[in-house]
Amino acid sequence: MFKKNAVAAGMAAFASVALTAGCAVADGSKGSDVDITAMSADELAEHLIFETDSFRDQEMQEGGDWRDRMTQDDLQKACSMKGDPDGETAGQVVAMARASYEAPESIELGDWRKGAELADSGYGYRQGHRTDDHGQREPGGNCYNCHVFDPRVSDQGTIGPSLQNYGANRGTSEAVLRYVHEVISNPHQYFPCTQMPRFNSDRHQLLSDEQISHIMAYLLDPESPVNNQ
Amino acid sequence: MFKKALLALPVAMAVGAAAQAGEWQDPNDVLQQFLQENPDSAYLHQSEMNIMMMPDNPALWLVDEGEELFYAKRGPNNVSLEGCDFGKGPGELDGAYVELPRYFEDTGKVMDFEMRLVHCMKELQGFTSDDAAVGQRHGNGSDIMKLTTFIAHQSSGMAWNPPLDHPQEQAMRDAGEKLFYRRGGAMDFNCASCHGDVGKQIRASVLPHVGTGPEWSKAVSWPAHRAGHDNVRSQNHRIRGCVWQMRHAGIKADTPVNTALISYWNDQARGEPAILPDLKR
Ligand code: HEC
Ligand code: HEC
Repeated sequence: MFKKNAVAAGMAAFASVALTAGCAVADGSKGSDVDITAMSADELAEHLIFETDSFRDQEMQEGGDWRDRMTQDDLQKACSMKGDPDGETAGQVVAMARASYEAPESIELGDWRKGAELADSGYGYRQGHRTDDHGQREPGGNCYNCHVFDPRVSDQGTIGPSLQNYGANRGTSEAVLRYVHEVISNPHQYFPCTQMPRFNSDRHQLLSDEQISHIMAYLLDPESPVNNQ
Repeated sequence: MFKKALLALPVAMAVGAAAQAGEWQDPNDVLQQFLQENPDSAYLHQSEMNIMMMPDNPALWLVDEGEELFYAKRGPNNVSLEGCDFGKGPGELDGAYVELPRYFEDTGKVMDFEMRLVHCMKELQGFTSDDAAVGQRHGNGSDIMKLTTFIAHQSSGMAWNPPLDHPQEQAMRDAGEKLFYRRGGAMDFNCASCHGDVGKQIRASVLPHVGTGPEWSKAVSWPAHRAGHDNVRSQNHRIRGCVWQMRHAGIKADTPVNTALISYWNDQARGEPAILPDLKR
């Protein structure tokens, strides 16, 4: 991996600089003798994350440790640019997302009341000075952080589009159910490099199949308050 | 003392006078200028109550306490912090805060403000991490927040101007930019997921946009009294909170990832006057 090479290159560069100029170089971590100016910005960013003891050594709720959490998968890497992806990147990201999506045999709508709670809940997966305990409380979907579903309930965010009357406008045909399931599972299939998280992808499953069915009911069930505004 | 002289300055200054890069300005004057010049910024105008409270910003109470701590002989070595060089020479605080992070010869690395303060408290005064003086980082009762508020206040109204002359400064700023846009963690977020557009909201919080100078200058203007926490908070505390919300791994204090992020975010506010201390939601 290029990270290892970068560190090795840095070490080599340091050795020569130290010999010739006797110049002190350091990256801020104790006892480290790495010439940070010999790395590209990308290499240095990876170096800072993985080699400078900047993160707490904790178990992640999804399994694995902090390194696993901070290691990028291909989609995250592809979407780490400033601004929107160019056409080629967008195409690759859509292809990646589609290739990893597994459609369920059938999709049923669950209980919209449970879906409303899950859409509201921002609990889960937080790490650090306070770590979310999934044994105490199930993780939610954070959907209200970014979307207005029902402005009568509570403050809702605007990073994503309003989903008011989402089901009322679209109905509950098989095609609609499939589309919404695809978007919640891995929205990059339609919106490459979107801000919306992947809730059920090859990286990990943040919401269970059952939880997704409840949230889908909240969005699509004709009885749901989302569709009665 | 020179703090008193500084507080007298804004009275002498005509309100609305164009801010010069090196001039001290009362934090409320800086805020008022931002508000007037940016009538459409939802972020700047989001809380009428906080704007009204700004002249009596509770963070100002920490300034005097911080000043006392700064000049007091303390720690096992019984010396004051007047020997501490924040980049402008030992004990020189005017404009020091807005010109950080920077490279320091004595440590051979780029340090952000809090890292430098802790370095001085350990090296000069002899405190260790086990002492509450440096161990306790957060809250109005902590020495660190009192000192931070006093020292930062000496740069109020001056333009953010973190140096980039040393190759390590440039390297840390550029790595910080990469970190800002690096998607990762359990929910694929980067900093731009929430700070990459103008006027967006996470629930009731209006988000500052990294590409809009005055919004970003206020955004990075910590220490700030955070009304929702009823405590003065630091830049490091804000980073920790955002990284936590992002579902990345838990970030530690005094670490290079922090420093790189601060190098980039202060650079993004370059040229805009700082509000020190500020008051936030
Ligand atoms: C971090 C913000 C964020 C979160 C959290 C989020 N979304 Fe989204 N969502 C977006 C954005 C942004 C879009 C628009 C796609 C784009 O252009 O990037 C979107 C699009 C959608 C769409 C497609 C709308 C259409 O045009 O058909 C649906 C449905 C949706 N989100 C549902 C959800 C649900 C359900 C949740 C919670 C499980 C959720 N979102 C959580 C940001 C978010
Ligand atoms: C999931 C959304 C989210 C992400 C991602 C995020 N932040 Fe924030 N950030 C917030 C919220 C919410 C606030 C509080 C804004 C308010 O209260 O008006 C905030 C506040 C801030 C502020 C201070 C502005 C203020 O008024 O409090 C700064 C500076 C900041 N974030 C920087 C960052 C950086 C750097 C990153 C990446 C390490 C980041 N944020 C990632 C949501 C986010």
